[in-house]
Amino acid sequence: MERSFAEEVGKLKLGDGETFRGEGILAVTKALLQSGVSYVGGYQGAPVSHMMDVLNDARDIMDELGIHIETNASEAGAAAMLGASINYPLRGAVTFKSTVGTNVASDALSNLASAGVKGGALIVLGEDYGEGASIIQERSHAFAMKSQMWLLDPRPNLPKIVDMVEKGFELSEASNTPVMLELRIRACHVHGTFAAKTNRAPQFSRRHALENPEFDFGRISLPPSTYAQEKHKIDVRWPAAVKYIRERKLNETFPGDLEDIGILCQGGMYNVTMRALQQLGLADAFGASRVPIYCMNVTYPMVPEEIVGFCAGRRAVLVVEEGQPAYIEDAVQAALRRNDVNGVKVHGKGMLPLAGEYTGETVLGGVAKFLEHAAPREMDVGHFRAAFEKLTAPKRRAAELLGGGVPARPPGFCVGCPERPVFSAMKLVERELGAYHVSADIGCHTFATLPPFNIGHTVLGYGLGLASNSAVNTMFSKRTVTIMGDGGFWHNGLTSGVANAVFNQDDGILVIMKNGYSSATGTQELPSSPQHSPHKAQDMGMERAMQGLGVGWMKTVDNYNVGSVAKMLKEAMTSDYQGLKVIIADGECQLERQRKLRPETARQLAAGERVVRTKYGVDEDTCTGDHSCIRLSGCPTLTIKDNPDPLRTDPVATVIDGCVGCGLCGENAHAATLCPSFYRAEVVQNPNAWDRLVAGLRTLITH
Amino acid sequence: MSLPDRTITILVAALGGEGGGVMADWLIEAAAQSGFPAQSTSIPGVAQRTGATTYYLEIYAAKRDQLGGREPVMSLTPSPGNVDVMVASELVEAARAMQNGYVSPDRTTLIASTHRIYATMEKMQMGDGRFDSDRATNAAKQLAKHAALFDMRELAQANGTVINAVLFGAMAGSGALPLAREACEAAIRKGGRGAEASLRGFAAGFEIAAGTHATPEPAAKRLPPVMQEILDLGVARLKDYQGEAYANLFMQRVRSLGTNDAKLVGETARHLAVWMSYEDIIRVADLKTRASRFERVRQEAGAKPGEPVVVIDYLKPGVEELASLLPPSMGRSLVSWAEKNGKLDAYNIGMHVKTSGMFGFLMTRSLAWLKPWRPHSYRYAEEQQLIERWLGHVRDAAKRSVPLALEIAECARIMKGYGDTHRRGKANFLAIMDALMENPATADPDEQAKSIRKAREAALADPEGKALSADLGRPADASKPVIWLSKST
Repeated sequence: MERSFAEEVGKLKLGDGETFRGEGILAVTKALLQSGVSYVGGYQGAPVSHMMDVLNDARDIMDELGIHIETNASEAGAAAMLGASINYPLRGAVTFKSTVGTNVASDALSNLASAGVKGGALIVLGEDYGEGASIIQERSHAFAMKSQMWLLDPRPNLPKIVDMVEKGFELSEASNTPVMLELRIRACHVHGTFAAKTNRAPQFSRRHALENPEFDFGRISLPPSTYAQEKHKIDVRWPAAVKYIRERKLNETFPGDLEDIGILCQGGMYNVTMRALQQLGLADAFGASRVPIYCMNVTYPMVPEEIVGFCAGRRAVLVVEEGQPAYIEDAVQAALRRNDVNGVKVHGKGMLPLAGEYTGETVLGGVAKFLEHAAPREMDVGHFRAAFEKLTAPKRRAAELLGGGVPARPPGFCVGCPERPVFSAMKLVERELGAYHVSADIGCHTFATLPPFNIGHTVLGYGLGLASNSAVNTMFSKRTVTIMGDGGFWHNGLTSGVANAVFNQDDGILVIMKNGYSSATGTQELPSSPQHSPHKAQDMGMERAMQGLGVGWMKTVDNYNVGSVAKMLKEAMTSDYQGLKVIIADGECQLERQRKLRPETARQLAAGERVVRTKYGVDEDTCTGDHSCIRLSGCPTLTIKDNPDPLRTDPVATVIDGCVGCGLCGENAHAATLCPSFYRAEVVQNPNAWDRLVAGLRTLITH
Repeated sequence: MSLPDRTITILVAALGGEGGGVMADWLIEAAAQSGFPAQSTSIPGVAQRTGATTYYLEIYAAKRDQLGGREPVMSLTPSPGNVDVMVASELVEAARAMQNGYVSPDRTTLIASTHRIYATMEKMQMGDGRFDSDRATNAAKQLAKHAALFDMRELAQANGTVINAVLFGAMAGSGALPLAREACEAAIRKGGRGAEASLRGFAAGFEIAAGTHATPEPAAKRLPPVMQEILDLGVARLKDYQGEAYANLFMQRVRSLGTNDAKLVGETARHLAVWMSYEDIIRVADLKTRASRFERVRQEAGAKPGEPVVVIDYLKPGVEELASLLPPSMGRSLVSWAEKNGKLDAYNIGMHVKTSGMFGFLMTRSLAWLKPWRPHSYRYAEEQQLIERWLGHVRDAAKRSVPLALEIAECARIMKGYGDTHRRGKANFLAIMDALMENPATADPDEQAKSIRKAREAALADPEGKALSADLGRPADASKPVIWLSKST
């Protein structure tokens, strides 16, 4: 695992009167323990990967409380696990990234929401939206609406987040409905403090087992129960939820003296809205605002009475709602209309952009525009525009001074990544056989779609690479290639991809990146990881799984041998074999490899043992500065520097510190017949007498 | 006592693996030790995979017990015009921060390292795709209220630590943080592992930003050589390459230009010297077996004194390399046979030559000993012929227009690399020479110069030649060098 929380999990033991200091995700985990959960699970993915890591690192604490932890196979598996709360008074929580994880989970979530829950069920959603996101831009709100699950969107500070986790369970139980807690990326990683409470052992757990199973056909998702369940949602659960939200004051109203206007915002948008008001001189550092604010810590269901009560009597309000469609703004409009409150002008999208993240700048601009438009009594309207212009003037000046955009720096493959050489080989094959269609998948390998490779024509979902290739594959005279990672393979690819392709006798090529971990999300364990924690099954090979499915053409290649990878790809492209051809591209994730190697090397060096360190390099006087090696690699340590030759102007290639000696640049120079400039230097550390003798003799000759 | 009316905001722009997260932890710890409410947040996600990422912190500079139970509301995202301390671990990241409006003259202290880590888009260009560093530093000086700009990576290396320690020190030293030096150092100490080295880095950054140590001067930029220097360098280079007579040939060619325009003579001579010392197998073997080269490798590999270094070269000679050594007629027929049968790249032999070893050294060195044979080789004949042809165009153009002659001279830059890359470049060069120098569509030298410049930039823009093809309105064929018919544009 990339990040260890072993030290920080001690914070999960804090009790009454102690102060928790730490990251949002860890705070949520602590809140789960304070709420007496019986079971937890989930599937890793930014921004909630660390929650899975924390849970795994906190196994001892969980065991003490009798809590079950599951590393679910997918988000669907995690959501299905919440079925434990349908019949029994068990509190459970799962986590995954949204909306992609929620998409995967939605089959189970629909059934769960229909059946309803007896024990509180909480789904912690890492809303991967805006800056730093790695997925399609949609919002989770729609899932809440279609299945009538409740959606919490707390103000992004730890006390509120923790409070909403605890209240979320109560709301879930009060309304027999699963509850989703939405945390945006920065909220997941926000570092703050809250007053801890002592953990609560669950009523039923691994230590206090249930006695008898409980059968209730009313909780089965099969007609006629489903008809009754739908009615129950509307007639009983929804009103119960609204009642709980009102009574417990989950939503907050902050008064202000500019009473003819107001702002309604999602809880998660409160802080950025407050900052905009501060910048415009309408609020102080502690959130005392001149503009009244209605902050929705529950964004679904909404409470029409509260909305009407807040808006009535004002001339204009602004709805700060991130993402589209504008469900909340539309619901506000509808609530006012239904209650004949017609004098309030509702602004929202229009003052603020319809699409995209609501950054500091966006909200500042939107709030300034709203204030200018709404013209609160006794205020100089021109002031807001002027303030906004002044604050953003340096941006315009910077554009002039910098002259055109600075180069973008998207994520890419790490130094020594074993996936990079596979894409180098694919480039070489393309050069020889012409362009071919590549169905890409989700994982670090998706970075191959970026420069310098630009490989991969479509991305359809995690583990869905091969499935997405099934029709396009028959439409080309040339064979097509699918890329899949081992993470995607176990998530979904084994069934919807491999089994399906074998069953339908598809004639495609599947390249599986066997790097051993769920690397993009922080190198979590997979069933086929090279080593396992003690609480996991030890040996689940992808190869045996595929043999079992009847894959007849399966070969393994060493990734760093670019020539062999290219040869294998060509063989698969041109083979007479009809049917799925699987190439297992074998190379352990370099992050994990180095994590194991570094301490070992340090130990050897300290012990005076002989260690050979490898570093690659480029001869600056034979490099002509064409950079074709860089276009075939993209390694962060293969870069450029000023040409030392005073007669040349273009920069030459160079290998900087940080090179882990994977050998790709040398292999590329060979496989692509690039140039003779690459060399490998083997530095013999702690040399023995023989090394010194040979080196001495060599120097006599070469000098 | 009156409370501050807003939080101090700190935005850190860093790249994956630079310890930005650790630095954020230090800041939070130092704030906690000072009794100040503070908050940090970040967007790790996939950005930590070599991409650009940011950390954002806010500190309310008053002790919590003075707040009467009130909590300051802190934002999770930076806002333009609202950043007190902007920290960038690299120069273009500082430029990006300015581009996003996070550096304002009335408020922002900018702490940025001036070293560069090039983005893929900058590195992969055929020519020079680097962002102009001067623009970034100039903008920084104009936009920041106070700027501390120096090479913090170098300072970190010198102190055996990571850049985050130096950046943290520079922040503290700049006086823009509401945190005492002792609190910052205590936070580092609390971090444990590597604390001593981090503290050294911290101190180094602190002293410079505080002005108690002078800002290290960046290495003086090498000025582009002027005409006489170029001629001297060219003569020395070609003497080394093939001897006195060859160097004389160089000077003779320069004189034949028949112009006194120093820039034209200088630039043409520069390209001429590089071209005349083309990288054939003899040259490569010679450069690879020099004592100075082994020293350089030792240095680049970071070998300590007494540590033996084995050097293995990746060589893959093929038909062209063999042909280049043969007499012209034989070489010519071998190459044309290989071209016709698509065998140019068919017989390359990949070798891992241990050049630092006895056998590998002697084998490679023996190729270098073929130097006296070079003037009788096929490649020599080919190169000299093409050089004369190009030089002729420069000479002719110089009579009409110096700018045009300069554009033509500059075209020699297209031919670089080895093997396939070199073939592609040469084909592009020949095509430009044919279409725009020998059969130009216009008689106006300015127009002609413009068209040559455009075509040259297109040829350098992408290796597949798509841009050059598009420039000339032809379909691109990624698998072949760009060839187009003359006068068709």
